[in-house]
Amino acid sequence: MVNMIKFKHVYKIYEKDIRALDDISFEICDGELVFITGPSGAGKSTILNLLYREDVPTMGTILVNDTDISHLRGGKISKYRRSIGFVFQDFKLLFDRCVFDNIALPLEIVGTNRQYIKRVVLEYIKKIGLSGKEKLNPWHLSGGEKQKVAIARALITSPSLILADEPTGNLDDFSAWEIITMLLDANKTGTTVVIATHNKEIISRVGGRVIKLDRGRLIQQ
Amino acid sequence: MRAIKEVFINFKRSGFLSLISMGTIIVTITVLAGYYLISETVKHFMNELQNKVEIVVFLVDNISKDKIDNMITEIKEFPEISEVVFISKLDAYQEFAQDKEMKQILDSFEGNPLPDSIKIKLKDHTKKSIEKLTKFLNTKEGVLEVQYGGKDIENFLNIINVIKLITAVAGIIFVIASILVVSSIINLTIYARRHDIYVFRMVGATDLYIRLPFIMEGLIHGIIGGVIGWVVIYIIIKILSLQIQKEMGINLLNFYIFRPEFFTVKFLIGCIISGAILGFIGSLLSQGRIRGDYY
Repeated sequence: MVNMIKFKHVYKIYEKDIRALDDISFEICDGELVFITGPSGAGKSTILNLLYREDVPTMGTILVNDTDISHLRGGKISKYRRSIGFVFQDFKLLFDRCVFDNIALPLEIVGTNRQYIKRVVLEYIKKIGLSGKEKLNPWHLSGGEKQKVAIARALITSPSLILADEPTGNLDDFSAWEIITMLLDANKTGTTVVIATHNKEIISRVGGRVIKLDRGRLIQQ
Repeated sequence: MRAIKEVFINFKRSGFLSLISMGTIIVTITVLAGYYLISETVKHFMNELQNKVEIVVFLVDNISKDKIDNMITEIKEFPEISEVVFISKLDAYQEFAQDKEMKQILDSFEGNPLPDSIKIKLKDHTKKSIEKLTKFLNTKEGVLEVQYGGKDIENFLNIINVIKLITAVAGIIFVIASILVVSSIINLTIYARRHDIYVFRMVGATDLYIRLPFIMEGLIHGIIGGVIGWVVIYIIIKILSLQIQKEMGINLLNFYIFRPEFFTVKFLIGCIISGAILGFIGSLLSQGRIRGDYY
C-alpha cells in the first residue's frame, strides 16, 4: 500500500519548552484505519491539528500524499482541507442552520449545483437514519444524532482522509458504537481513517493499528 | 446572494448593533453633506457677489481732463478690467438727487460736494487682482480715494471660512469615528460568530467566502446610512428654511441650496457612495480578526 501520511521527526514545542510532540515519526498507508491513543495531554489532538494544517510543527516534516503541508499557504490550505473530513468531539455544527444545511456546507462552499446537493444530502440523511429531521435545528438532536450529522458532513465530499478527534467522547456506549460503525464503513470503502481516542474498549473491539503516545513521545506504533 | 442573505440573518440576530453602525454613518453623511452644502452656497454666493463688485476711484477737485483721460487709458491696460466709466461730479449729483432724502442732504451743502469719479468693473475678481489695481490707483496723482465693496464681503467670507473649517474638522472626526464604529461593530459580529468561522475554515472555505458577508454587511450599512443621511439633510434644510421664513420673513427658496432641484440624484448617489466607502473601509479594518485572532 502507498504511504499517505508521513511524519518525519516532528516536534511541536510551545512557550516555556512545553513539548506537545517530541520527535514523532510514523507512516500511515492509504486506506488504513489507525487509532491514535494515549492519556490526556499525550499529543493526540496536536497530531490531528497538524494533519489538518490548523497548526505547523516547530521542527520536522509532515507529508500528505507527498505534499509538505507545513508549506501550504492561503487558498491551498482551504483546498487541502476540502480533501479531508474532520469529526470533532463537540460536533462543531452550525446552530443557525438546519441539519440539511449543516451536511450540505462542504458542498455549498465549493459552489456545487443545488440539485446535486439536495439529492446527495438527502441520501446521507437517510443513511444516518435522520430522515424527517432534515429541517430541524441541531439543538433538537441528541448527542449521538449530532455526531451522525457531523460525520455525514465529513463524508459528503467523499474525502480520501477522515480525521476524528475523540468522536465518541460525549456519547453513550450505544451511540458511540453507531458512530464507530459509520467510520468503519467509510474505511471499508477505501477512505483512510485516523481516530484519536482514549477509549480502550473501542480499540480492542475494532482491532486495527494503534499509535500510542505519552507526554508527546511515541511509545508504540 | 449567500453573503446578502447572511447580512440579513445577522441583522435579525444583532439588529441593535447594526442600527448603531448605520446611525453613525447617517450622522457622518449628514455632516459631510452639510459641509458640501455650505461650500456650494458660498461658491454660488461668491459668484453672484463678485459680479457686482466694482472699484470706485474718487478724484480731487479741478483735475484736468487730460489727466483723467490718461488715467482711464492706463486703467484699461490692465487685463482684469471689463469696463471703465467716468462719472463727473454733475452726473453723480444727478444720480444721487433722484433719491429725495439724498437730495435734501446734498442741498444742505454749498455747491456740489460730490467729486468726479471713475467706476471700474472687473473681469477677474480675485483678491490679488483687486489689490494690484488699488495699489496702482493709490499711487496716481489726482486720486482722492479708492474704494471697493470687497471689504465687507471679505469679512463675511472670513466668517464663512471659519464655519467651513469647523464643519470640515467635524466631518473628518465623524468620518474617523464612523469607520471605527463600523469596524468595532463588525468585530463584535465576527467575535459572536467565531465558532461558525472556525467551522467554515475547517470544512475548507476560502478567506473570501468567509469575509464576503462581513464586507457586504459594512457596505449595506453604508448604503442605507447614505440614503437616510440624504433624507435627514433634506429634512433639516426644509425645516430650517421654513423656520427662517417664519421668523425672519426671508424666502430661502431664493438661495441655491434651498431649492428642490439642488437635491438631485447626483447628490443622492454621492451620499450613497460616501456611505458605502465608510462602511467598506470599516468592514475591511475588522477583517484581520478572521485570521485567527479569536480562534
